[in-house]
Amino acid sequence: MLITFISIIFIATAIYLAAGILFTIIFQAKGLSKIDEGVHGSSWAFKIIIIPGCIVFWPVLLRKWIRSK
Amino acid sequence: MGASYSAVGWNRQKKIYDWIIFSFCVVYLATFIVLTAIFNPDYTFETVLIRSTSTLAVLILHVILSIGPLTRLNKKFFPLLYNRRHLGVTMFCIILVHGAFGILQFHSLGNVNPFVSLFTSNTHYDSIADFPFQALGFFALIIFFLMAITSHDFWLHNLSPKIWKTLHMFVYLAYFLVVMHVMLGVIQYETNPVFIIIMIIGAITLISLHLVAGLKEARKDKINYNLKEEGFVFVCGVTEIEESRAKIFCIDKERIAVYKHEDKLYAIHNVCKHQGGPLGEGKIIDGCITCPWHGYQYLPQNGQSPPPFKEMVNTYDVKVKDNKVWLNPMPYAEGTERPGANIR
Repeated sequence: MLITFISIIFIATAIYLAAGILFTIIFQAKGLSKIDEGVHGSSWAFKIIIIPGCIVFWPVLLRKWIRSK
Repeated sequence: MGASYSAVGWNRQKKIYDWIIFSFCVVYLATFIVLTAIFNPDYTFETVLIRSTSTLAVLILHVILSIGPLTRLNKKFFPLLYNRRHLGVTMFCIILVHGAFGILQFHSLGNVNPFVSLFTSNTHYDSIADFPFQALGFFALIIFFLMAITSHDFWLHNLSPKIWKTLHMFVYLAYFLVVMHVMLGVIQYETNPVFIIIMIIGAITLISLHLVAGLKEARKDKINYNLKEEGFVFVCGVTEIEESRAKIFCIDKERIAVYKHEDKLYAIHNVCKHQGGPLGEGKIIDGCITCPWHGYQYLPQNGQSPPPFKEMVNTYDVKVKDNKVWLNPMPYAEGTERPGANIR
């Protein structure tokens, strides 16, 4: 029972993060500069450093991106 | 602020600070490994690495949590505060090594997924003494992970300062989880109580520091300003404020910083827009009020960050009469220009 429960949470987290990776690839290419003007002229190192956060907090960024359109 | 982001905001001081942190960590780990090899030669390398990284991370965590109250008690600790973010990320990297080797050593050899094994290899969730302490460490690691990946101003702006601050306040929950993780781990696997004693001393020190600093703040906030005149409140004598510095006054539950600069007094809201730093504990550098926490700047006459930055804080009216400072606690809109009060 416990193994099933933990497995379900693990799979759900993996799916969430996989969606985050997919989102981050598109977001870094097209959306990043649209949600925050501070991104203009920023370095590639900055864009790399925020990748883990984009993968985890992708719903927040997606919402901001949609609102910026 | 409003300008382009950089990956890491390094300057000369921060580079020196980071080199000191890095050197300390290397020396600590090397010393721990060598001493273990001498006194406990039967320990595996993984075990030594797990133990050395855990003790180092716990030590750094105590330093990080002490910095806030220490700066409240003594301004000499401010340089530690400027670089707390780097110390936090360093600690997370060390914890990550600890967690990775812990999972590798204890959960990767079976046919169950290591993460599932972490929560199911010990199922004494109804016991205090036998509680699966590794699960507590895992949740602490998740909190530190979320804090580390959001340790950039980009996240402060895009998650909003309120959510960002709330997320980073979870460090106290993580600390509690770490304490329980270490205590239960020692109870279940060790006979030597030295780790528990060190942990208890650390926790008592931290709690005492927070209490002393909190009481000091509360005493300041409780001062009553009874002398009132046409909306203005008498707060102090002119000479009580140093040049290019401020005094903070808490009136009607709002903290206001009154700054002295080039024979004039200016009043602005004490809370920095960046991370809520106490502007009144900073000083005026290059004509700008500079937040002691991360160096965000505001012009004293209008509470606006100099271009291209866009942060703004409330301003207040202040006047000088017979060498006495009078402050009107009614705020003007953020960024409103006020002329300041002539001292002479």
